[in-house]
Amino acid sequence: MIPNTATAPTAKASSVVSPPRKRRRPTGKRTSAVLLILLALVMLAPFVWTGLSVTKPTNVAFANPPVVSGYTPTLEAFRNLWETTYFARYLGNTAIVALISTVVALLIGIPAAYALSRFPGWVSAVLLLLALIFRSLPRFSVVLPMYEISRSLGIYDTNFALAAALVAINQPFTIWLLRNFFADIPKELDEAAMIDGCTRVSLLWRIMIPLMRPGILTAGVFVFLFAFQEYLTALVLTDTTSKTVPVFITTQLGQTLPMLQQAGAAAMLLTLPVIGIAFVAQKYLVAGLSDGSVKG
Amino acid sequence: MRIHTHVRNGVAAMAITATLVGLTACGAGSRTNEGATEVECDYTMPEADTTVNVLAYNSSAIDPFTDTMVASCTRDNVTLLHDPIDFSGQVTKTTATLAGDTGTYDIIETYGFAVPEIASAGSIEPLDDFVTEYSEKYDLDALDEGMRSALSYDGQLYALPMQAQMYIMAYREDVFEDLGLEAPTSFEDMIDAAEVIREQGDIEYPIAMPWSATADISTNYQAAMNSEGADFISEDGEAQFTTEESRTALEGMKSLLPYMDPQVTTFDQPSVQQQMFNGSAAMAVMFSGRMNDLTLETNSALFEDFAFAAPPKVGAESPYLFSRLSVDGWAIPANTQLDKDMLFQMMASAVGEDASTAAVPAAYPAREGIVTDDSSRYAVAANNTIAETMPAPNHPASAAVTNAIRPVLVQVLLGQTDVDAGMQQMQDLADAAIDGL
Amino acid sequence: MRRREFWMLIGPSVLVMFGLLVVPLIRTVQWSFQQVSYGTPGTFVGLSNYTQALTDPRFGRAVFFTVFLTLVVTAIMLVVGYLVAIGVNNLTRLRPYILGAMLVAYVLPGVVGAVSFSWLFDQNFGGVLNLLIERLTGQSFLWFTDTWPNRVMVVAHTVWHLLPFAVLMILAGVQGVPNELREAARIDGANSWKMHVYVIIPTMRGIIGFVCLITIMDVLRTFDSLIPLSPQADAIGNESIMFYVFDTAFRDGSQQLGLGSAVNVLSIILILICLFPFIRDLLKEAKAKA
Repeated sequence: MIPNTATAPTAKASSVVSPPRKRRRPTGKRTSAVLLILLALVMLAPFVWTGLSVTKPTNVAFANPPVVSGYTPTLEAFRNLWETTYFARYLGNTAIVALISTVVALLIGIPAAYALSRFPGWVSAVLLLLALIFRSLPRFSVVLPMYEISRSLGIYDTNFALAAALVAINQPFTIWLLRNFFADIPKELDEAAMIDGCTRVSLLWRIMIPLMRPGILTAGVFVFLFAFQEYLTALVLTDTTSKTVPVFITTQLGQTLPMLQQAGAAAMLLTLPVIGIAFVAQKYLVAGLSDGSVKG
Repeated sequence: MRIHTHVRNGVAAMAITATLVGLTACGAGSRTNEGATEVECDYTMPEADTTVNVLAYNSSAIDPFTDTMVASCTRDNVTLLHDPIDFSGQVTKTTATLAGDTGTYDIIETYGFAVPEIASAGSIEPLDDFVTEYSEKYDLDALDEGMRSALSYDGQLYALPMQAQMYIMAYREDVFEDLGLEAPTSFEDMIDAAEVIREQGDIEYPIAMPWSATADISTNYQAAMNSEGADFISEDGEAQFTTEESRTALEGMKSLLPYMDPQVTTFDQPSVQQQMFNGSAAMAVMFSGRMNDLTLETNSALFEDFAFAAPPKVGAESPYLFSRLSVDGWAIPANTQLDKDMLFQMMASAVGEDASTAAVPAAYPAREGIVTDDSSRYAVAANNTIAETMPAPNHPASAAVTNAIRPVLVQVLLGQTDVDAGMQQMQDLADAAIDGL
Repeated sequence: MRRREFWMLIGPSVLVMFGLLVVPLIRTVQWSFQQVSYGTPGTFVGLSNYTQALTDPRFGRAVFFTVFLTLVVTAIMLVVGYLVAIGVNNLTRLRPYILGAMLVAYVLPGVVGAVSFSWLFDQNFGGVLNLLIERLTGQSFLWFTDTWPNRVMVVAHTVWHLLPFAVLMILAGVQGVPNELREAARIDGANSWKMHVYVIIPTMRGIIGFVCLITIMDVLRTFDSLIPLSPQADAIGNESIMFYVFDTAFRDGSQQLGLGSAVNVLSIILILICLFPFIRDLLKEAKAKA
């Protein structure tokens, strides 16, 4: 999603993951490793502390000064969350909306990105520029009208409306990212395939998509994350039926103790699986991004 | 090798999630109305499957009524749904659902302060015809007269009263006893007690009140003015911010500030509860609906040390207590698509005798004779407060005026604007808000 | 590729973006000239919403704070993001752990992360970090009511939330720098500092520009993190433009939709100004192709 300003050679450089062997002083290396470990711990701190707070008994959960030992950990907050709220529904909505919007965003984004990478000229450039501007729009400027439109169409507070909104909002990012990946695939390949009698569609389906796997994975992970995390759009476009977990958590902030602890538990349950995805996907993300968007 | 390491980490996170879910989720949704009382809810069953969405914020005083309604009225074709939500969420959702031809909610919780504005806009249904029809069936005559008028506008009842909330003072009996202190009866007393506690105890900021700059602070100011015998808007509709009562209220509030947490302007009622739970404050004044939480062992190790009293007056000679009487009730949005007769009967069952009895001690039900001095640890305080709270009918412009003056009020209390200039600014803003309606 | 094919392939995407982004945007522009609330037809009031916004000191404060936040966060992100990416790139066995741990901050929904973050500073909820800082410095800070401590906290949260993205991108960029280039520089006797300044960074200008662009976009629309982190944002001058819109056009019964829309339009203009350098480059490219 970057302008073509890279001046240096863009030779198909390493998706080499191994770091360059440098003959550095081992102490320097060790210091930087220690610093990075510290940084990683600091980055984890809010998450870990919330995890601790929600597994304490309620009467010491938010004690001041904080209690760090001498209590029996409990999963009561999690149990209460499932049993006394409609958390299962919120989580289901969040997952369904994220999945649907990711699939649809890729389905319409892949052909669009392919077209943009193969059709030279100002039309593509202008469309890309518009996409960039769309990506930067203040969310409210599209979401508040969507609120009114969805109410008048009778689709307010449905997973459909939310998923549709998220597809549109994330579309600019999707096509930018994917276009960069397509740009890497030599055009000669298209021409060869066309000579063999492939149509554009079958070319895209049979040749491009298999080649694009890392790119599609990268874009998919990002779009999924964006949708899974989205707060503002879900806040404005949903009410009860399709309320998502981030919205639920925020409506609990002004609550008293037990419910506040449940909100923390909800945050843990929402985040843990995504952390799983992050751990699995990180290497492919780096490699994929390195192949794709590094070059313009 | 490395691929395996991080895949393993990812799988580990998934496994933790799965375990947590497995251990805790087996009864998903099974206790959504935990401890709800079953009462008779005898409406005419609609033929089609019907979902009734209930909007009501969660607090230990409101929950019993909501839970009773949801548990008792859900049967056969009809399902009542109530999503947990905090107070500010309820305020936002109320506006949203009442705007336009259709809304999400079919029964909404509302309160005296909000009724005139939404009733005058025609957004909620007048209930008098239903009350006449069902008075006997649900014994509605036993609902307190004063509370009914608090939820009326222009002579018509717009919400069925369920309970009253008034200010109560909670204080640390152990601390007060150790230092030979009595429950304070004026702001000056509070300051004296706070001085002693700060000196001899180890609580730096003994006084706790919800002075959140975006919400509760204006209610506290109104309570202080009420203590002096005035209100934001007089009976003939004039703003009262430049009066002596207004000045005394502002100066009284300012005098408490040094004894309150420096971040008090970010505290809502749950934050004040936290201060008490954690022992970082020794006395708190807020609505009675938040008091029962203080008496629960599950919430704080200090639960036995709290005592309750009527709130103080601003000055020793003030005519009324530093208190507001807020009546909560159920209302029917004018834009609901459901049968309003059915909705009314649901609300009526939720404020019936059994439901009201079950809501004690967490709430102060609107039904006469339910709360006696033995009902709860703060029942005596509640009864005393009601007797000495200024009756202050709400005006349709109350909400608009309150929103308009709030930022200036914060500036005055924080000393960024001086009292005289602030009073004038508030007066001008209030005049404009009243004219705007 | 033929024109017909081009439009066939790109059609659905363009349709979705125009239908669901451009149409609402037009409505926002319409509203900005009206006095209007949800569900009712508005009345045309000319530019009065704009004059109201532009003369409201609150709007001025919001613009100032938003631009301040964007500049500070973008600067920190680029510097720290680069250093961390280089560090992570040199790691071997530890790398997946460090990168995975850092990504946690990025995958947490913004508002949820902000709540966790606020609990670290809020003494009513234990405030463990606040306590630690007090013990270490012997000073106490009013994180939620004093302008500067609150700004520090908001900046810290924003960096915490977005840094992993910058690290990920820059790391990908560093790995895209051909090894031959480094070797050549090393043979020419470049030390490690010169290597970064003259070889690696210039090679990665594109990706650094990209990180810059995304950061600017994301920070300019800061909104949800302020709900827990700055409960009285406006009173202490730490309100963002989007929070101002939320407050005037959606929250707590405020339905000044016209004013909110005018602020939206104004902030679009502000964003376009901030992004102008990037847009100019793109236009140049377009011209070259035309």
